Amino acid sequence: MNIASSAQQICFVILGSVVILGALGVVLLNNIVYSAFLLGGVFMGVAGLYLLLNASFVAAAQILVYVGAVNVLILFAIMLVNKKEKLKEIQGLKVRKFLSGLVCTGLLLLLLRVDFTTQWISPGPEAIGEMATERIGEHLFTDYLLPFEVASVLLLMAMIGAIVLARRDVLTSDVGTGDSVDQNLIEKSNEPILLDQSTK
Amino acid sequence: MTSFFKQIADYTQQAISAGQYLLKGLAVTFDHMGRRPITVQYPYEKLIPSERYRGRIHYEFDKCIACEVCVRVCPINLPVVDWVMNKETKKKELRNYSIDFGVCIFCGNCVEYCPTNCLSMTEEYELAAFDRHSLNYDNVALGRLPTSVTTDPSIKPLRELGYLPKGVMDPHEIPDNNPRAGNLPSQVLELMKKEAISKDNSLSNEEGKGGQSK
Amino acid sequence: MLTNLKEVIFFTVNTGLDLESSFNNLLQGLGLSSEVSHILWLPLPMLLVLTSALIGVLVTVWLERKISAAAQQRIGPEYAGSLGILQPIADGLKLLVKEDVIPTKADSLLFSLGPVLVLIPVILSWLIVPFGQNLIISNVGIGIFLWIALSSIQPIGLLMSGYASNNKYSLLGGLRAAAQSISYEIPLALSVLAIVMMSNSLSTVDIVNQQNGVGFLSWNIWRQPVGFLIFWICALAECERLPFDLPEAEEELVAGYQTEYAGMKFALFYLGSYINLVLSALLVSILYLGGWGFPIPVEWIAQFLGQNIDAPLVQVFTASIGIAMTILKTYLLVFLAILLRWTTPRVRIDQLLDLGWKFLLPISLVNLLFTAALKLAFPLAFGG
Repeated sequence: MNIASSAQQICFVILGSVVILGALGVVLLNNIVYSAFLLGGVFMGVAGLYLLLNASFVAAAQILVYVGAVNVLILFAIMLVNKKEKLKEIQGLKVRKFLSGLVCTGLLLLLLRVDFTTQWISPGPEAIGEMATERIGEHLFTDYLLPFEVASVLLLMAMIGAIVLARRDVLTSDVGTGDSVDQNLIEKSNEPILLDQSTK
Repeated sequence: MTSFFKQIADYTQQAISAGQYLLKGLAVTFDHMGRRPITVQYPYEKLIPSERYRGRIHYEFDKCIACEVCVRVCPINLPVVDWVMNKETKKKELRNYSIDFGVCIFCGNCVEYCPTNCLSMTEEYELAAFDRHSLNYDNVALGRLPTSVTTDPSIKPLRELGYLPKGVMDPHEIPDNNPRAGNLPSQVLELMKKEAISKDNSLSNEEGKGGQSK
Repeated sequence: MLTNLKEVIFFTVNTGLDLESSFNNLLQGLGLSSEVSHILWLPLPMLLVLTSALIGVLVTVWLERKISAAAQQRIGPEYAGSLGILQPIADGLKLLVKEDVIPTKADSLLFSLGPVLVLIPVILSWLIVPFGQNLIISNVGIGIFLWIALSSIQPIGLLMSGYASNNKYSLLGGLRAAAQSISYEIPLALSVLAIVMMSNSLSTVDIVNQQNGVGFLSWNIWRQPVGFLIFWICALAECERLPFDLPEAEEELVAGYQTEYAGMKFALFYLGSYINLVLSALLVSILYLGGWGFPIPVEWIAQFLGQNIDAPLVQVFTASIGIAMTILKTYLLVFLAILLRWTTPRVRIDQLLDLGWKFLLPISLVNLLFTAALKLAFPLAFGG
């Protein structure tokens, strides 16, 4: 066992425990902000695992998309809506807990079964390393073109939906008093401050 | 459709002009970098206060007649004039006089109205203290004269911008005997007198000439 | 032993100043196994990154203070060393020995972790900065993409410190910082993408090599003038420099997410922001200004002078010219950033987001499409 492979083993153990413990923390911690930060840690751990597999592009994309965008947005949402609210009593909590536990154990058993019955090829196919970027691009624009486009249309739909949801409805009359509302206060006109000097 | 293109063209033009304004601003900042610093390295260097500088007030106890005009003209009646009437001589006897410079606004009204000129403005402005009550100067403290900036050997006196020769911006390397731009009030007065005299002369000359031609 | 050394030096220059292999060869020549020499080599690049980043920051801080003073007709730092050159070191020492305050109601764990998360990605990004053909810590294939990915970690640190400070100004500053870096990362990445499309590689070394065909005429700034402007604006916004310094706008938010920090933790933020500035300037010079390339190709000069470009001495000479050129271009850009700081007023938060989403994003998209079209039309000039 040389230094490189042992270092790899140690890294794997560390990253694996970071991912597992972090994921447990995300679920079990009471403080929602901690959970969100731990989620970022889990994402980074997964990126580290990708790096160990010589897939540096995927690792960087994982960090960029999951840590940089998804997790930051989650944190943003949590921090903007930091309301301390008493949660309502949920009826039949025990039954629900039992049922969801059942589903989760079933999933775990399924995964374990897949894990143990699959013939893992060891060592796996040779890592292409630096060529990965090109290979991913080729796949995206040839045999995976349809899923790629479908995914982008889906994202577009989500975006339009978000805009529709977030758009302020301009009310013509005040809900409380019934007076007409000064529209200028709601929708600011976007006039340039510096007037065009050629019109003088 | 054309309006859409016009909108786009306008937008582009605006963006370009914004960039131009930015470049102009950058040019101004860059231009300033070439100028000499105007820093006065206080306390090693100090500007010489101008002649009419309104600094800490100087007070001469012996000249004061305790008339309390200074108190009446003061915006907040600040000077404290402590006197008693001497029954025998039927004269006011001044015992104490004080001004609190933590409250004074240095408006100079007291100096202006003092009938005996016992109050005057000095050029002292360094009045920092650890305790604001120590700024309440009594007649002894008020009677002290400040060290002039020009006579202090540890300080390099610098002339203010208005007292420099014409075209000079940096007071550091100007010899003391180099006169300021423009004239002193006394010189202006003299000049005006001379001008008036010459005008009179020329006027009378012209009248004489006119008389002759007629 | 001596012959060994000679061999090593010979080997070094023949492969174009490859420091790692020469170091390994030297140690192996001394009788160590290749693994041991590799392990001994490992900490050296890290140390190199740290020291070069630190020295870069010290110089930048000094320049910032001096140039700011000059722009305002002041003298600036003067007494610490000649021309105040030791002032940044004095500042750093002061911060080092200051008391480390953690507010009572702050979340002490996140409070300490925040600055670390801000600083580490910035320092890591120095891995991909080349100062010469082989003068790069790690020539990873994903190169510039690594920087974009790493810089997206920063907002998490900012949010963390803003939240943990338990202070409304800090939280607002952290949120603003995160919003700003998310929205400016997209045009930034798109303008980088245009460059990548032209050089057919994400690696910074390839990007520079692609620019150094005919001296300064082949620099990317001539092919990507719009991309250059977008990148520079976005880089300033990512570094939170004026006019985009809303997250630490002192008139409204005290100091933003840094409000509650003191001592060494504050110094980490300070270091992070200045390292980020130098790094951005370095990347602009690499992506758009030809990196280590001299305005006239050194090969031509060597030919003109009748020197062999592969001769050891010439190699050393060209390498040092490369380093000098990179640093020169970088500091010119830093100078520009400082000049901009004293020229432009701070934008409002809605103006900032307007500029990012409604102006820079569409323009960078158009720029990308345009570059693709040009690449198809003129593959010779725009990298086939």
